[in-house]
Amino acid sequence: MKHFTKLATAAALGTVLGTAAIAQELYTPNLAYRTGPFAATGIPLMNGQADYMTLLNERDGGIGGAKIDFEECETGYSTEKGVECYEKTKGTAIVTQPWSTGITLQVLPKTNVDEIPILAPGYGFSPMADGTVFQWAFNMPAGYWDAADMIVQYLENEGGSLDGKKIAFLHLDHPFGKEPLPVLEMHAEGKGFELLPIPVGLKEMQNQSAQWLQIRRERPDYVVMWGWGAMNAGAITEAVKTKFPMENFIGVWWAGHDADLKLVGEDGKGYKSISWSFPNMDAPVMKEIKERVIDAGLSQTNEEEMQGVFYGRGLVMSAILAEAIANAQENFGTAEIDATQLRWGLENINLTEERIAELGMEGMVPPFSTSCANHTGHSGGWMLEWDGSKFVKASDLLMPNVEGYSDLIESAAAEYAESNAPWDMNEECSATN
Amino acid sequence: MLNDIFIAPFVDMVEAPDFLMQVLWEGLVSGILYALIALGFVLIFRSSRIFNFAQGIMVVFAALTLVGLFAMGIPAWISVGLTLGVMFVLAVAIERVVLRPLVGQPDIILFMATIGITLFLIGFGETIFGGENKVMITEELGIPTGDTVLEPFGGLLILQHLDITVVVVATLLVLALLAFLNYTQMGRAIRALGDDHQAALSVGISLQTIWVLVWFIAGIIALVTGIAWGARAGVSFALEVIAYKALPVLMLGGLESITGAIVGGLMIGILEKLFEIYWGQPLLGGNTETWFAFVLALIVLLFRPQGLFGERIIERV
Repeated sequence: MKHFTKLATAAALGTVLGTAAIAQELYTPNLAYRTGPFAATGIPLMNGQADYMTLLNERDGGIGGAKIDFEECETGYSTEKGVECYEKTKGTAIVTQPWSTGITLQVLPKTNVDEIPILAPGYGFSPMADGTVFQWAFNMPAGYWDAADMIVQYLENEGGSLDGKKIAFLHLDHPFGKEPLPVLEMHAEGKGFELLPIPVGLKEMQNQSAQWLQIRRERPDYVVMWGWGAMNAGAITEAVKTKFPMENFIGVWWAGHDADLKLVGEDGKGYKSISWSFPNMDAPVMKEIKERVIDAGLSQTNEEEMQGVFYGRGLVMSAILAEAIANAQENFGTAEIDATQLRWGLENINLTEERIAELGMEGMVPPFSTSCANHTGHSGGWMLEWDGSKFVKASDLLMPNVEGYSDLIESAAAEYAESNAPWDMNEECSATN
Repeated sequence: MLNDIFIAPFVDMVEAPDFLMQVLWEGLVSGILYALIALGFVLIFRSSRIFNFAQGIMVVFAALTLVGLFAMGIPAWISVGLTLGVMFVLAVAIERVVLRPLVGQPDIILFMATIGITLFLIGFGETIFGGENKVMITEELGIPTGDTVLEPFGGLLILQHLDITVVVVATLLVLALLAFLNYTQMGRAIRALGDDHQAALSVGISLQTIWVLVWFIAGIIALVTGIAWGARAGVSFALEVIAYKALPVLMLGGLESITGAIVGGLMIGILEKLFEIYWGQPLLGGNTETWFAFVLALIVLLFRPQGLFGERIIERV
């Protein structure tokens, strides 16, 4: 009933504000990267994000009667260009989507002054989970520390105690690659396994023979990978080459791209990736996108890409943003919301199973909710497995044990605020939580 | 500490000779690929004094063209032929549109022009082929896959058939190139231009023809390099980054020396792998390959500013 009311209000808003909304637009720029060394992984994500917004514009006339201006500013995954894009688009933007941990870290202090929400679904700085400190930053539905915790849990559930075992942590030598280290180190100490960090430089992404020679020499029980872009394909081909058992090789959600695994095909069978999204071609939203966006020639995607994990994830990302916009419109009674109002919308997301079904996205994202204090949502995720031609679900929904590292989140957030003083915090939220 | 630096690594090598052989083999394969990229730079520099910043993107462009043509339904080897045709057209276009109008300009202008070529090829390539990762047509080209497992000293040595092919093809290409440069009229003309521009022009060597030729040869090298790297980790614009690995090779071997490119490439490939495995990973946390080659090249430059095989330039003031 509540969801019906929400939909009805949004529809009514659209009708009532119809005339006035003709010129109304919601400017939601995306700091995209369709070029450069990471383009191969960026393109399907950007296509998914853009196509969902196109669907809303075509089918519903936007959100609540206001069209969405989903402009892309190309960064090539370069932090410098990302900051330029942020500065260029921040004037009328109600949100910024920085699309790399490096760019997120750079614009994080700026958004706290400019008062524009950062939406970094599944990436960025993990302590952003603490909304009382990072009042303008969101990384829902799950953060890197959630991913690290779920992977450790999964390994423990599947292979028994980790005591005395060795886990190699193959990661991009970049802020993104180092993000999960605090949680992995915490678990290594608590569960008694040896953590072996193995960095991969940006110039070595496609030639990881040294890293895999180290893995051969050290004989770890598992390899956990925090890879991105060309690094994933490089690692997976080296793993096949060195005959590392694929079932003991697990990547973060950005290391679960179909195109990377297609390079090795059957040889990659058993490789796993934790993920908070899953492509469900039977979901109603996929059919609508096919009819109204792709067949109408309004998309840059293709049939093959559309079936992949990353395209589906792009759709989910835009659905989260759209949900936050609808929340804010309903709460503030206006279609043309501003950045502050969108922040409220992002802090009040409640994606239940029912709501996900209403959006036509069954099975594509786990349920989660946010609050002023919880900007991550901690949705949990599924362990996906490559079956030789596509990713399939290999587990039920795994949930991170956030309590186990909530102290880490709190202390890292406080440390950040202190080192970036004066740092405006959400005092109102702190008082109520 | 002294033990970790001076004794432990050598003990490791002796205790696990099969692993040492694997490290040397991986280093050799990387080294040959570095040498190939460096050769593309050297050829163009020798004949025109241009440091070709576009060599990396040419690798990507050649590989993408090959995969793209094959995706259009053209048989693999015909696609190779057509790709060579495209690289020839590219060489002619670069000579006509970019280099010829800039004859006589300072070297830095020509260098900047190759940056322009790079940016153009990135944009053009992405427009035509898209930025997605593509699978190299390894099997369709008849390049063997799979591996041979040996057990030297009771250990394990895995030799990828792809890597063996790369070593053989790259060696043949280098030998063919050396034969061409030493025993053909065109090859001698290229060398003459490298030795003395003015003297070469005065005896009737056509600058335009030679430039087209060297850019085309650089295109052939780019295609072979693109196939070799693309078969290892897919074809995408990330391949361009690999070209930067050739910079320390050029510093080490000398910008003008073909022998330097080959020896420098092999030295860096093998030494950086040895250093990473036996010193970098145990003592420095790994990832030393990103800087080791540059440090090695800088040390060489301290003693031989022209590189190991470069010509010593003496200018009167």
